Amino acid sequence: MPVTKVLTAGIGEADLRDIETYRQRGGYRQWERAVRELQPADVLDLAEKSGLRGRGGAAFPTGRKWSFLPSEKHPRYLVCNCDEAEPGTFKDHMLLEESPHLVLEGMLIGSYGIACHHAFIYIRGEFKRGYEIFCAALEEARAAGYVGKNVFGSGYDIDVTVHRGAGAYICGEETGLLNSLEGKRGEPRLKPPFPAIEGLYGMPTVVNNVETLAYLVPIMERGAQWFSSVGTERSKGYKIVSVSGHVRNPGNYEVALGTTVREIIELAGGLRPGRTFAAVQPGGGSSACIFEEHLDWPYDYESMTKAGSMLGSGGFIVFDDTTDFVNAAYNLVRFFGHESCGQCTPCREGSSWMERVLERLVRHRGIPGDYEMLLRVSGSITGLNLCALGDSIEPFLKSVMLRFPEAFRSRIVAETVAR
Amino acid sequence: MINLTIDGVPVTVPKGTLLVEAARAVKQEIPIYCYHTKLGPAGLCRICMVEIEGMPKLQIACNTVATDGMVVRTQGERVEAARAVVLELFLVNHPLDCPICDKGGECDLQDYAMAYARGTSDVADPKLAKPKAVDLGPTIVLDEERCIVCQRCVRFDDIIADQRQLVVKDRGARDIIATASGRPYRHNFTGNVTELCPVGALTSKTYRFKSRPWDLNRTQTSCTHCAVGCQQFADVRYGKLLRTMLVEEDQISDGWLCDRGRYNVGFYESPDRLAQPLYRKNGALVQIGWDDAFILWSHAIRKAIAARGPASVGAIGGGRLTNEEAFALQHIFRRLGVNNLDWRAGSQRQATPGAKGAPLAAIDSAEVIVIAGESPAERAPVFWLRLHKAALRNGARIVRESGPQAARSAAGDATRVALVWDGIDLAVGRSYAQAFADVGELATFITSEQSNARGAEAMGMLPRSGPGYAPVQPGDDTAAMLDRARSGALDVLSIFGANPVRNGLDSAAASEALAKTPFVVVSELFMTETASMASLILPAKGAFEKYGTTTNLAGDLLPVNASLQAPEFVRSDFEMLCGLADQLEVAMPSFEEIDGAVVAHVAKAPQDFTLGDERFAGAAVGLAKRNGQAPILSGGGTWRHDPWLAEMRASGAAR
Amino acid sequence: MSGETRDVMSRKLGPTCGATEGGSEEAEQQERSRDGGATSGSEASRRTARRKHQTMVEAEQNFAALLERLRPECETLMARYEQKRSALLPIVHLFQGHQGFVSLEAMNAAAEMLEMSPAEVEAVVSFYTLLYRRPVGKYVLQVCRGLSCSINGAEDIMAYFREKLGIGHLETTGDGLFSYEEVECLAACDRATCMEVNLEFVYDLTPAKVDELLESIRAGTYGVAPMTQTLPPGRTWEIAQNDQIASGRKSPGAVRVEDPDNAGGVGDASGTIMLDHLINRDVYMFGRTNERAVVDSRAVVETMGERADHAGH
Repeated sequence: MPVTKVLTAGIGEADLRDIETYRQRGGYRQWERAVRELQPADVLDLAEKSGLRGRGGAAFPTGRKWSFLPSEKHPRYLVCNCDEAEPGTFKDHMLLEESPHLVLEGMLIGSYGIACHHAFIYIRGEFKRGYEIFCAALEEARAAGYVGKNVFGSGYDIDVTVHRGAGAYICGEETGLLNSLEGKRGEPRLKPPFPAIEGLYGMPTVVNNVETLAYLVPIMERGAQWFSSVGTERSKGYKIVSVSGHVRNPGNYEVALGTTVREIIELAGGLRPGRTFAAVQPGGGSSACIFEEHLDWPYDYESMTKAGSMLGSGGFIVFDDTTDFVNAAYNLVRFFGHESCGQCTPCREGSSWMERVLERLVRHRGIPGDYEMLLRVSGSITGLNLCALGDSIEPFLKSVMLRFPEAFRSRIVAETVAR
Repeated sequence: MINLTIDGVPVTVPKGTLLVEAARAVKQEIPIYCYHTKLGPAGLCRICMVEIEGMPKLQIACNTVATDGMVVRTQGERVEAARAVVLELFLVNHPLDCPICDKGGECDLQDYAMAYARGTSDVADPKLAKPKAVDLGPTIVLDEERCIVCQRCVRFDDIIADQRQLVVKDRGARDIIATASGRPYRHNFTGNVTELCPVGALTSKTYRFKSRPWDLNRTQTSCTHCAVGCQQFADVRYGKLLRTMLVEEDQISDGWLCDRGRYNVGFYESPDRLAQPLYRKNGALVQIGWDDAFILWSHAIRKAIAARGPASVGAIGGGRLTNEEAFALQHIFRRLGVNNLDWRAGSQRQATPGAKGAPLAAIDSAEVIVIAGESPAERAPVFWLRLHKAALRNGARIVRESGPQAARSAAGDATRVALVWDGIDLAVGRSYAQAFADVGELATFITSEQSNARGAEAMGMLPRSGPGYAPVQPGDDTAAMLDRARSGALDVLSIFGANPVRNGLDSAAASEALAKTPFVVVSELFMTETASMASLILPAKGAFEKYGTTTNLAGDLLPVNASLQAPEFVRSDFEMLCGLADQLEVAMPSFEEIDGAVVAHVAKAPQDFTLGDERFAGAAVGLAKRNGQAPILSGGGTWRHDPWLAEMRASGAAR
Repeated sequence: MSGETRDVMSRKLGPTCGATEGGSEEAEQQERSRDGGATSGSEASRRTARRKHQTMVEAEQNFAALLERLRPECETLMARYEQKRSALLPIVHLFQGHQGFVSLEAMNAAAEMLEMSPAEVEAVVSFYTLLYRRPVGKYVLQVCRGLSCSINGAEDIMAYFREKLGIGHLETTGDGLFSYEEVECLAACDRATCMEVNLEFVYDLTPAKVDELLESIRAGTYGVAPMTQTLPPGRTWEIAQNDQIASGRKSPGAVRVEDPDNAGGVGDASGTIMLDHLINRDVYMFGRTNERAVVDSRAVVETMGERADHAGH
């Protein structure tokens, strides 16, 4: 089986929340090595050479993201994005609760890589327990001298602030996150300017996902070459895949990129007895479904894009033949409508309109034209929005509507909308 | 400069120009809702999509900066399809109550829907219900259903008015515009949001359900509620003034109106208005005709001059008249040898800043703004807005120190300084002028409490200076006149649009002075405290009922145009003065001569005057009492007779 | 600045500070004994009014005392950030922890501390679903309605909860013990159906587990602490079984909360608002009702049956 434990190593075997246990397993050694032996430029070089790409969803090359920071503008900030709320994704939740020191060490190394002295972690409001665990870990690390002034006597100062959200998916969007962190409504900002130029408090800022930063620790330990030798041509290294839905053993599975979709389903124990495969949503709620013909495709960024979907955050939902795709489509459109910040027209109005139409379809109250309207509106709002949320409504809806048109058309029974 | 092509037309624009502005240069209108020139881009409405060669996705014109060689298309299938989608989406929830909507006919959503939307709609489901007719505060009612959440009002409140009272609450399709719980929307500039609102969501209480825009007759004029002289439109229907609207311009108002200027116009309709000349006969007021009034007035003046000489006659006023009226006023009295002339009826001593005066736009580039004396916030609200903009957007520092030396050191080595003085205490003005004499570019402003104070000075309504600030035989100023009146030395006092009894610090003394003057003439709109003591009361036209010009605090000569028909027996001060001149057989200059004189005298900046100039000396009548109301209204006190304001005050207090 | 405010606060509190708790009850008892038990209607209403006033004063003082107590912690939170406004979410979380919701007083206090306008603070608080601007139940039950849970039986669980509690989405039980909410993906999809009870996760829900959960909460033996519940002055919990038609709610046990502050305010002229207003979300959907139906399978079956009838089968 192609499962590899890198970030997930030790989880479930040892209490990694305890700093002693974490240290015994080599914890904080890479952090020490970074500040003592390396220059920030070396860390950046490592990140770049490893081919590590953002694990939050956008898959932007991490090293390149860091390199956009203007050299003359200080202070600069690193923000770890732990506002995990993409439907079907639960890897950051696990890392935060099970291996907080790894997350922290990754943040510290990342901070050093961009030479910043104040790092933030934005934790989703619902992860109250995770927040408490991380705060405790941070206090342990602070007491051990890993965080604070002059760490390891290197003269390098680093402070970490933990910030808890309060319930808003859109705060996972990096500029929405920054607004929320600044005590504002978590509405995405108009770009340009980009956070690398004007981010937190108007200063250059890097926002990285929990998993992305955590991978810096093994990359430091084993080298960029180790990481980049795994995976496919442009999708390097490992990825935690959050497998859920109609599988026997849902859970987080860490695999080398390029593992096939079928292998991932097998890792999770395969389908339940007597069920047949219908579809997989491979990259969280924002991604389109892929189907039987894609089962043997490699799970990497390029292949998933080529299959008409995306790898996204690695939220991997498996649907079997019992799935009501109209209900599933309604579920996701309602989700996006509920989480739309309401700033820009297409997302705000489009999501609420489609939600109403789908709600009728779920109740078998569709009217002629609903099917065409859903495809037309979801398609035409894509590309018009201020941030990516509005563009995330179409993929799943369109993929299942085109694949299972009858499921939708059979719900069109009424002539007009009953008022 | 940047060269680009918009719809095939080559355009050259300054660096940093946004596409939406660049398109205007080639007269190509890009539809906008959230963008506003004075508010900047927000990127919310998504209607301003344009096609840019080399970019796969459509881009918003409001946040895309023009670059060299850019090829932009504001027309074409893709752009039009995107616009049609955005408009269709707006109309998913926007109610189609256009026939009863105040904005109908001047609504951007209507206009763009006509221009760009599909003719049909796929929307079959009911629209979202949201609160309608939300009472936001004393001035404004909000319809949440019509709101398209462009957030212009929210951004105005934040970056222009610096109030942050209006915000977006909740999120997604449920979001609403609101104030803090239990707090009304209330500050000096609230009315502007009704004009910024591209749809009929924010409406003025004074105009709700009153008219359709196409039924309105529009006249452009200058606001005379303070010395800023904001340009505004007066919209009249069937002889009634229904609303005033801002004029988009940069020089005077920067495109905004204050609520006083916008809403304090209801008094024209007041039943309390003086309607006919009144004469006090045996202690009681009787209505008389204008001819009799002129005869009585001129006889009194003639008799007084014949008995005790011209020093027994005086005239106060001019700050609330037009330039032409002020000119005529001093012309007639000076021809009679009367030198007791003064526009200053309140606490202000000086209105012209002299050689260091500057256009209002000089504020925009100031590094430091020094405020000496009273804050301009109430005296000149829109001017204050400009100061604030300089501070918020251009990084100017506003310095309000306790004295000139402290202010000078706080200003440091800034070379562009704006000095704003209230014109009250000459010693204060002088000390600040001296302290800042060494500044390279000093722009000085005097925030007058009367709208045409500067014009009155230029026209010669001062005891020691004549038209164009020419030296004249000196006479008494207001304080001296009232002093002499108390000792029985004044026989005839003519007062034009001034209320020393109410606004003098020593109300009793002013009252006594008037009581001891045998013949007091007052020209007014209402029966003020001063008018009620007069022998002869002349009903005057308001600024919306007459033609003329006014001079603002920066010396701009601005038009005053009539939009309303005055009541039958009411005359303008100019008409009154002509009638008086006729009886007194004083030759009046021709209209052309007056026009010429006004233009020439207003243009003269008295090069040797400075702030706190000795030539303006004399005791102040007294600090104007505020009585909780805006001091600008010190003259006729029109706010007390304004049903609109009364309603606003009442509803404001109720909340 | 803050020191000054503190002084003003403590002066305002004065010597009554320590004696607020139970103070009004005592006064009431004294009054009752003076009346000798017999009270006329007008006297009773006068007393109610007086008591209401007392409660309001008390609540004000209680808040002042709470603010006093929490201020140092707020200062610490503010010091963590380069700009103090960043401390807004931590500060309102703190107040919610102590009051059970983010009260208007708390928002105003935060506005003052952070140099924001009160409207800005409300705008921010109203953006987030975990911040309640009105009182909620002692146990907030948030069941995940995300896609992974949804295809693994969440809809049955939600229907079971609604049936057992007798309330719907965004409602509170008449005794003020439970608030029920159906929430978006909680990021625990591997253990569907999941939920949070006062933000502590519960996994792998089954009807039996739901029964056990509700029973132990009712019995006071559940492992998660209840939320603090403070009712603002003048507001009472009251079951309004008969008002369901007026309110447009289908489920029984909906709760009315009297809210004199809101009389004539946004969206409500009567001064009575439903709890979903209180939670301030999903309020304006579809006119009278905000039922954003989470369609359970049974309803669908019924609808299908209805359709079959119409078709003459």
